[in-house]
Amino acid sequence: MIEVRELRRSFGGVKALDGVTLTVGDGERRAVIGPNGAGKTTLFNVLTGELPPTGGDVRLAGAEITRLRPWQRARLGLARVYQRTELFAPLSARENVALAVAARAGPYRAFRAPPRSEYAAADALLERVGLAGRENAAARILSHGERRQLELAVALAQRPRVLLLDEPTAGMSPAETARITELISGLDRALTILIVEHDMDVVFRLADRVSVLHEGRVIADGTVSEIRGDVRVHDVYLGKAVSVA
Amino acid sequence: MTRAARWVALAAVAVGLVTFPYWSAAWETSRFATTVLRDMLVFAIFALSLDILVGHAGMPSLGHAAFFGGGAYAAGIASQRLGTDQLPITLAAAVLVAALLALVIGLLVVRSEGIFLLMLTLALAQIVFAIAFQWTAVTGGSNGLAGVSRPTLFGIDLSAPDRMYVLVAATFLVVSLLIWSLMRSPYGRALTGVRENERRMRALGYDTTRLKLSAFVVAGMIAGVAGALSAYSQRFVSPGDAGIGTSVQAFVMVLIGGAGTILGPVLGAGVVMYIQRVLSSAIPVSETVLGLVFIGFVLLARQGIVGLGRAAYARVRAP
Repeated sequence: MIEVRELRRSFGGVKALDGVTLTVGDGERRAVIGPNGAGKTTLFNVLTGELPPTGGDVRLAGAEITRLRPWQRARLGLARVYQRTELFAPLSARENVALAVAARAGPYRAFRAPPRSEYAAADALLERVGLAGRENAAARILSHGERRQLELAVALAQRPRVLLLDEPTAGMSPAETARITELISGLDRALTILIVEHDMDVVFRLADRVSVLHEGRVIADGTVSEIRGDVRVHDVYLGKAVSVA
Repeated sequence: MTRAARWVALAAVAVGLVTFPYWSAAWETSRFATTVLRDMLVFAIFALSLDILVGHAGMPSLGHAAFFGGGAYAAGIASQRLGTDQLPITLAAAVLVAALLALVIGLLVVRSEGIFLLMLTLALAQIVFAIAFQWTAVTGGSNGLAGVSRPTLFGIDLSAPDRMYVLVAATFLVVSLLIWSLMRSPYGRALTGVRENERRMRALGYDTTRLKLSAFVVAGMIAGVAGALSAYSQRFVSPGDAGIGTSVQAFVMVLIGGAGTILGPVLGAGVVMYIQRVLSSAIPVSETVLGLVFIGFVLLARQGIVGLGRAAYARVRAP
């Protein structure tokens, strides 16, 4: 579903991505892990088109998308949950999701109120992520955990083929983390998911395969159990994180 | 108030507004009041169009007079050169010229934000002003364009003051209704999304550059309508109509009244025109009063008159 070949991105002299090659199959759930500064968020930014790569290419379902703009990639079925919440702060939770639902029909519909079906679809998604009863609350007054749930509802409202999750459980309480992990785990198996996450319990719970990024390169790639046993991965990353696991 | 009652009340206000010259005829000041109200409504249309950009789409512009002036000149020049006073022809010329200006300026500015957007719109509008000021053969240069004829519509001569007023008031109602319904449609909701978080809108699949450009053109066209009405009303177009003073005037109206609402720019236009046209003949320092009012709103009431009204209403309703 996603093929990344020799992807490079430098900031000045710093090589944030130094030739990343990665293939994620249809319906696969892939975690990308690595220490801070390994290039995970840069990888996401290049995948969504918010940053142009300095080299290499990206394919989505076989089609070259390296030079497409972010909104064009979104139309092709790429949705993202941001690490830092990106919502429409003064709008209600329902309006936030409705804007994502309405993206398909486009904005050039004037002189009549938005169709009720868009709001009905938004409410259904809010219920699915556990925000029933909060439809009319403005995004800015939601708690941190609720905003992350809303982010997920917005991304799902795009009806994506590929979902990019950038630390979906960052800053959440253990109870909230458990709930959102459960939610993601229960998503349609046809949906391809790429997830960046520091919480190894979450990674091992959700991912089919894991890619380890280190200094802008993929240093290991394998199933969850292969990665657990990989010595190099332990050296750069896992050693600290799961030494007690 | 129920929905139906609200519509009835609005319709009553609308009818009262359009028929103002007739039911006020007995007043000693009726003619003067009609003229002032007419000019308020012309500027209300202009301020409403600017608010599409400032309040709804989050694109503050200091060059909106380019479209007002462009529309005014287009209506005046079309009328003189084509020797016609047919409203559909001169108004169409105004809307077309304003739309083209907005398209060109919009293409150059929609990728900028904040202070850069303000400066770019200001600079490009000054080019339009310079053309109006110096292209004497077409625009009359610094003398302006005098003797613009008042329009006729379906054979009805609209040159009498009361009929001219009715044309302006009716256009104002149509434009208000148009903008109101546009802003509650999926289109208006998408503009709100761009205002609040353009990056997120792109990630959702919206071509925000095109969306902002379309808003620029719509706002420019409505400003062109206001410009044409100004040309008919004053029977005169001056380069100042396309100048920075006119742009700032509309911006002040939007901010005093309350950006992002329908009522706000209308009330703002009313307050500003009242100070400039009525208060100015009563006291010598009316421009200073306007300045103080503006500073007061910027410092103390960012949401304008509408914001103050909403706060007061909420306080009354609170237990």
